[in-house]
Amino acid sequence: MALSDWNIVTRSMRSRRFSTILTILTVAIATGLMTLLISMRSAGENAFKRGTGNVQILISKEPGPLASVLNSMFYAQAPGNSISWDQYQSLQSQYPFAWTVPTLLGDSYRAAPVMGTTIAFFESFNPATNQPWELESGSYFARPFEVVVGSRASRENNLKIGDSISLTHGAPKTQGAHNHNEFSFTVVGVLRPTSTAHDRAIFTMLESSWILHAHDRREEVLGHDIQTGIEDLNDEDRKITAIYASIGDRKAALVQVLSALRSDPNWTVANPADTIGSLFTIVSNIDQVLFAMAIAVMCSSGVSILVALYNSMEQRRRQIAVLRVLGASKMRVFNLILTESALIGLVGGFVGIGLAIASGSLVSTILQSRVGIVVHPSLPVDGYLMLVLATIALSCIAGIIPALVAYKTSVVRSLRPIG
Amino acid sequence: MHQTVLDINDLLYRYPRQSDPSITLRSLQVNPDEQLMISGQSGSGKSTLLHLIAGLMDPTQGQIRINGVDIHALRGSKRDRFRGRHIGMVFQTHQLLHGFSVIENVLAALMFSDIPRGAHNARAISLLESLGISTPKARIDELSMGQQQRVAIARAVACSPSLVLADEPTAALDPEFASIAMDLLQGACRSIGAALICVTHDHSLRERFDRSEYLGSPIHPPIEPLLERGEDA
Repeated sequence: MALSDWNIVTRSMRSRRFSTILTILTVAIATGLMTLLISMRSAGENAFKRGTGNVQILISKEPGPLASVLNSMFYAQAPGNSISWDQYQSLQSQYPFAWTVPTLLGDSYRAAPVMGTTIAFFESFNPATNQPWELESGSYFARPFEVVVGSRASRENNLKIGDSISLTHGAPKTQGAHNHNEFSFTVVGVLRPTSTAHDRAIFTMLESSWILHAHDRREEVLGHDIQTGIEDLNDEDRKITAIYASIGDRKAALVQVLSALRSDPNWTVANPADTIGSLFTIVSNIDQVLFAMAIAVMCSSGVSILVALYNSMEQRRRQIAVLRVLGASKMRVFNLILTESALIGLVGGFVGIGLAIASGSLVSTILQSRVGIVVHPSLPVDGYLMLVLATIALSCIAGIIPALVAYKTSVVRSLRPIG
Repeated sequence: MHQTVLDINDLLYRYPRQSDPSITLRSLQVNPDEQLMISGQSGSGKSTLLHLIAGLMDPTQGQIRINGVDIHALRGSKRDRFRGRHIGMVFQTHQLLHGFSVIENVLAALMFSDIPRGAHNARAISLLESLGISTPKARIDELSMGQQQRVAIARAVACSPSLVLADEPTAALDPEFASIAMDLLQGACRSIGAALICVTHDHSLRERFDRSEYLGSPIHPPIEPLLERGEDA
């Protein structure tokens, strides 16, 4: 086996292992930060938009459109204000909706939010554009006290067809939340994954949720050991928290309906896709600051390569001088240092992308559990390659000064015996 | 026609900012296989002469031909390549590559030779064995001073140079090891048919050489001015 320039570069890096690893880590963190920001930016917006499905209008009584979308479609928190069933029916008759789906949030099973709704939720609403609901097993609910479980809720709570569960009235870990062990719900269906927030929810008929509310109301008056059924429901119990609606393909009608609804101060009206777009417009300002910071970190990593290599030149003058005596040209030693710098960039770039993918996955998990959205932070392969090439280019620029020091190293002075 | 390995004519070297010449050599020839000792007092320019012969410094005037080629007429990488193929060097402090193994130090010299890459490993092992080094994969730091000098000799003769320049090769060794090192160096040069120029202030070594030259008129130039300007070629 003959010795090559590659061997000389790797031996040199190995002999300064600690410094080399630190420099590579600096480059990796900078590249990782840059990669994460770029990939999360588009993935985040896509994931949020995906979660709004085919809903064109979201009607609620939340304080604002963003809260309405996050609470009613992404299960961030249980909505605070309710809509009466009469109001819902009135709206239905007032506007030319293609379809509407009433939803009621506020109950839970362990960490999973429970949505009370109608069968229209599965028939008209698509969780993602052109992606209707599909059952993994079982069927949709047909009567009260039957539940259909989202894919993640099923997996995390180990729920399968035929299981009996009791629900908690109130969101998990909130003040006043209490179990309704007296009502047993049966799992009749498990949904296929949709990669949206709905995967972590459990769905039941509106009447089931209303009965839980009615039972609490009646207990206050009649005391414990009472039975509550559909016949005990009154108008106060028949409430919902949001309405998913669509006009269909009539774009002009959509503008008119949105305008008319927005003119009524009783309603908070959101076009979910536009609301998410606005959210990302706000976020993009922060995004730009973070992007500028990532570029600054990239530049500082370049400086760290320069400093690490430059500092090493003092120890390496003798090695360079020996190589020159053995026949290496000035250009060759210049290239050796530049290769080392590029190699730091190459390894740092790939490690950085690995870090970005790992931390992206972590952020994705956190977002999914906290906000319910499924983010897939990734870039096309050529995007990753461009980032690695940019890192190598930056490293090469950073390596020019140390390489020039090597180029100009005085052989005679460097070979002078010490002492 | 018999060609000299080294042919120096009217050589003059003046250190930067010195008016008097530091080295003056009207003529010096070294034949193939010849072993020449150059002695002189400290500061007489012995090491500088070796650097001039190796093309690491440029003379103020005069000519140095190695195998008929004026080394100072070669520029840049051509001169480096020429040095790598025709000249081997041994230093007082060995100047081995630390962090590299024994065999890698020898292979480093072969990298710049015109010997086919496929033959490098076998040649390096054979050279090291002939010099009594049987641990080619050992780290340089694991070797004794005497062993390090053997590796330095192996590296100097690895490319089968026609001229080996040794700068005080035994100064760091005790007399017993110095004698062994000189035997090995001279033997290695003879085995490849290389001429040897050995700079030393140790007059006891004179008997070992075919002839000796004394570099007279010791001059003690200040060191820093020498190093301030581009003395390197």
